[in-house]
Amino acid sequence: MIHLFCALSCEAEPIIQHFNLSKIKEFDLFRLYRSEDKNISLAITGVGKMNAAAAVTYHHACLSTFSADIWLNIGVAGHSSLPIGEACLINKITDNQFGTTWYPQILFDIDCTNAPLITHDAVSYQYQDSLFDMEASGFYQMALRLGTAELIHCLKIVSDNQQHSVENIKTDYVKKLISKNNMKIVQLLNLLKPLAKELSSINTAPKYYQTLIEEYHLTKTERIQLLRLLNQWSVRFPNDDIMYFVRNVKNGKSLHKKITTKLIESDFIIYD
Amino acid sequence: MINTIYIEEEIAEHPRTLDIIKRFPNATKIDCKRYGEIFNRKSQNFRLQKKKPALILAKKHKSLVLPTPKQYGLGAEHNYYFSHMLNCLYDCRYCFLQGMFQSAHYVLFINYEDFIVDMQKLLNQHGEQSVHFFSGYDCDSLALDPVTNFTEEFLPFFENNSKALLELRTKSTQIRNILKRDPIQNCIIAFSFTPNKIASSLEHKTPNVEKRIRAIIDLQQAGWLIGLRFDPLIYTKEYKKEYAELFTHLFSSIDSNLIHSVSLGSFRLPKAYFRKVEKLYSDEKLFSSPMEEENNNIGYPAEIRENMLDFCKDTILEHIATDKFFPCHDSNQTITS
Repeated sequence: MIHLFCALSCEAEPIIQHFNLSKIKEFDLFRLYRSEDKNISLAITGVGKMNAAAAVTYHHACLSTFSADIWLNIGVAGHSSLPIGEACLINKITDNQFGTTWYPQILFDIDCTNAPLITHDAVSYQYQDSLFDMEASGFYQMALRLGTAELIHCLKIVSDNQQHSVENIKTDYVKKLISKNNMKIVQLLNLLKPLAKELSSINTAPKYYQTLIEEYHLTKTERIQLLRLLNQWSVRFPNDDIMYFVRNVKNGKSLHKKITTKLIESDFIIYD
Repeated sequence: MINTIYIEEEIAEHPRTLDIIKRFPNATKIDCKRYGEIFNRKSQNFRLQKKKPALILAKKHKSLVLPTPKQYGLGAEHNYYFSHMLNCLYDCRYCFLQGMFQSAHYVLFINYEDFIVDMQKLLNQHGEQSVHFFSGYDCDSLALDPVTNFTEEFLPFFENNSKALLELRTKSTQIRNILKRDPIQNCIIAFSFTPNKIASSLEHKTPNVEKRIRAIIDLQQAGWLIGLRFDPLIYTKEYKKEYAELFTHLFSSIDSNLIHSVSLGSFRLPKAYFRKVEKLYSDEKLFSSPMEEENNNIGYPAEIRENMLDFCKDTILEHIATDKFFPCHDSNQTITS
């Protein structure tokens, strides 16, 4: 699943339209939107890092996110010299208040400027060589607790610089800046999807794990052991039906013993 | 090869840093205070990062040279290891680094001079006794040598200190910097091997067995001493045939007189590392085998392990003298290269 976060409605609107997202009416603390297939969702966080962090938590609580999900903060930001409209993928986030830094892991080649960003607590008029915004550190810090670093990113569009001050920014102008970069957002998501898919395949419990833990009474430790045994089974005997193999097993201990015995009795394999 | 370089502020102007950065003009450079901000953060995924590792240039502040685990060595009383790098260019599925580190990025400690100062202190501390230093525990010693100039910077120290011995453990064929120098008798270039089929399945991105043998031949012809490391031994149904073929081929291709030492050890990992790697690569056949836990390590069941070690020992001793053989029956993890 993909979770998008924008501070302002005018940043979110072009994305909502592009991905055809609909408002989820039952959640009203933050405005949440979702695609019909439920694969893409978006939250409007409001301005500031505290709001961003709170929106990430709320989003997680409302929509049940997973560690292999993609998390993306999209918005406008200022920079001293980068041209207006330039899309920048953030490679370093510094929280100006606490001096804490995070380093989003960019494991793909994307035709996009990579730049550091500083998150301020208030609107800043002092342009620097770093991008600056008011949300990224809150978003990233909280998303990192729920997701995986390689799948959490911030994409910022330059909205103002020394020649074009923040005071000139209007709602329609922001919408246009974001709209023009819709394809960049899609490109970024397409690069992240294979990573998310690989991570999801690592994290997914093996086939029939859920069925078996519902069928047998197992302690927490036994469940962990079963998970491991089923993983081994799926690698060693991909064509054998585990449910058929354990069809006569009466309890959890016998289940563990039967699968373990079969694994031990078979040859160690490294290659086919 | 390297698209991102993180640079610790403290060593940003170090000549070695500047030299390395020059080699990657297109890489994105990102400054950081300490490498741990990137390398040690939780919520990272080693398997994903391994697809595109970044280079982190850092300074090592303490614990530069450490005692080796007990029973790990080549006969000397004083054994130490040091790591100028963390992580490896290669991607060997049995490697303990996958379980030990949060990140797959390469950390290069560029303050070589501090390592050498600490080695000198240890030599002074041990008087006239021989001291062995092992490199290649947390990285491959030679794989990045063209970039790091590691051998060029460290070998002169050993050239001038005959009671110190250096082992460079590797699977790499990056030996050009070594071949430029006159050989020294207190440096062992120790190559790790598994049989071809096992290497192709588990040692991703490494030079194949033939290329490693070619590198050994070149080094021997130049007068360098060679070590052979069969650690980890990997069990397969056909292991006797596969290892016998490897030993026969290897010992018939290289000069046995210029072999300094041969060592071997069975595959084993500390339990915590094994569990982490097993989760990262749950689709890997190596971890789907029924390993056993013993002394907080996970490895092959004792019978398999002992049979394999005995067979390999006996076969190896058909080719070399007993005093060159150093079995590693310890409980420590498989070392990386």
